[in-house]
Order: sequence, then structure tokens, then C-alpha cells
Amino acid sequence: MYFENFQALMHMDGHGVYVWSAVAVTVVALLWLIIAPLAKQRGLLKEISRDIQREQDRQHATNNIPDSVDSKESV
Amino acid sequence: MTWLSNGSPSWQWFHRLGSPRWFYHRSGRWLPWLSLAALLVLLNGLVWGLAFAPEDAKQGNSFRIIYIHVPAAFLAQSGYFIMAIAGAIGLIWKMKISYMVMKSAAPIGAVLTFIALFTGAVWGKPTWGAYWVWDARITSMLILLFLYAGVIALQYAYHSVDAASKASAILALVGTVNIPIINKSVDWWYTLHQPATIKLTSAPSMHMDMFMPLLVMIVGFYLFYAVALILHTRNEILRRERKTSWVRELANAKAGR
Repeated sequence: MYFENFQALMHMDGHGVYVWSAVAVTVVALLWLIIAPLAKQRGLLKEISRDIQREQDRQHATNNIPDSVDSKESV
Repeated sequence: MTWLSNGSPSWQWFHRLGSPRWFYHRSGRWLPWLSLAALLVLLNGLVWGLAFAPEDAKQGNSFRIIYIHVPAAFLAQSGYFIMAIAGAIGLIWKMKISYMVMKSAAPIGAVLTFIALFTGAVWGKPTWGAYWVWDARITSMLILLFLYAGVIALQYAYHSVDAASKASAILALVGTVNIPIINKSVDWWYTLHQPATIKLTSAPSMHMDMFMPLLVMIVGFYLFYAVALILHTRNEILRRERKTSWVRELANAKAGR
């Protein structure tokens, strides 16, 4: 290592505060570019499967209407 | 266009690549390896640059910001070309996936431009004595940020996806004028910003011990960019293809039904 110890690496002769804050902001920004789309993907797939479920429920509901009419006629 | 895919095998990859479904499945297989490579290369370059490279004779340790500043600025500009070229392919060949790539490239490019500007400002304080100066390089990078923001905003300015895509593509193409201005700004105008460290035509103006980690970081940022672009594009595919049977099957499989 170029520095004598961990403290020297953190301090960087007074420049540590600049270097490490630049690194910290960069790491957070880059992580956000990965985590945000992954979370979005989960949400999208859930949303799509919920839509399909709702569609199927509606289809079941409309399919059941003629049945109820039939049962009324039979009474 | 079917005669192309039937007749000549050399065109098949082009058509397959244009198929959102093919891209989604294939990129899913690439992603783990690409992510692992990006992580390893970035970690390696960062540790090398921050802890092992020698310090700069004039700037001291503050110069280590170069290991994130230059790769971010590099990819902010490369990413702009990728966005503009994707837009052009969309306009010319009406390839579905290219507009999705264009839309996905905008927020990634904006974040990278922000990183370049932010790290530059933090580097400016110990080196120039100021966080911000209105010089040509910095101002043209700020314009780059606004161009990315413009493309993002246009995506939401239209009801029709097609109109939004076309308008964004045209803005992206017109904005490419700014890229050579960014590159040449340090030569054309008097500036505090140091001249380019890396030129394709000549040896780097840097000692090899300092230059090698920078090269590693640039490769790492390219790998990272590929991962981020693929992730964003896959979401755009899901969003626009949500009515197709393959996306519905995928959603059902993920939901365990």
C-alpha cells in the first residue's frame, strides 16, 4: 500500500475528506442505478400478474351470469 | 422484411436482437456474469487507485478523485452516443428495442454526468480553490446534463409512446453537437481544467503506475454501464410488452401460478 496505515489512507494528508466524499457519493449513485431497476422489475411483474388475476376473475364473473339466469328459469 | 430473415443468415442476428423477447431471455443469461465482472474490475481499480497508486507531485492525494471522475465523464459521453445511435436506429429501421434502449440510456447518462460534475467540484476545491467555475468544460458538461434531462422529460410529454420516442430521438441526435464541444473545450478556450489525460493518438500524460488503475476503472465503468443499461431496458420491455403472452407467462411464473 502507498500509505503507512489505515489512518493515513483515510486522512490522505488533508485531502481525505474530498477524496472519500467523492467516492461515497459515486458509490451511492451507482448502487441506485442497479437497485432501482431491480425493485422496479419486481413491482412490474407483480402488477402484471395482478392484472391477469383480475382479468380472470372478471371472466369467471361474466361466465357465471348465464348460469344464474338458467337457474331462475328452472325455478 | 421476412425475406431478409429467411434468405440470409447474416441478417438473422439483427432481427433477433430487435426482438424484445429474445433480448430479454438472452440478457438474463448474460447479467450474472457481466455484473460479477463489473464488480470485480471496479473494486480492483478502486483499491489500486485509492490505496496503491503513488500521489501526484503537484496535487497530492486529491488527484485520486481522477479514478472516478474521468471514467464517469468518459461514460457520460459514450453513453450519450449510445443513446443517440439507438434513437437513430429507431428512426431509420423502426426497431422496437432501439427506442427502449434510448429511453433507458437517458437516466443512466444523467447520473454519470452528475457524478462527473460532483466529483469535479469536490476536486476543484483543493486544486483550484473553488467548487465551481463557469468555464467551457464544466459548462458544456452541465449542458450534457440538461440534454439528458430533456430526453427524460420528452418521454413523458406525449401520450403516444411513438411520438415521445421520435421526439426524444431527434433531441438526442441534435444534442450530439455538444460532445465534440466538451472534448475540445480545453483546447479552444482558456480554462482551469487540465487537458486530456488520455488521447488515442499519443501516450498518456501520466506515469504508468497512475495510469493503469485509471484504465482498469474505465473498463469497470463500461461493464457497469452495460449492466445498468440492460437492467433498465429489460424493465422497459416488460412495460411495453405487458400484453404479450410471453410476458404474462413470465409474470405468472414469478408469482408462482
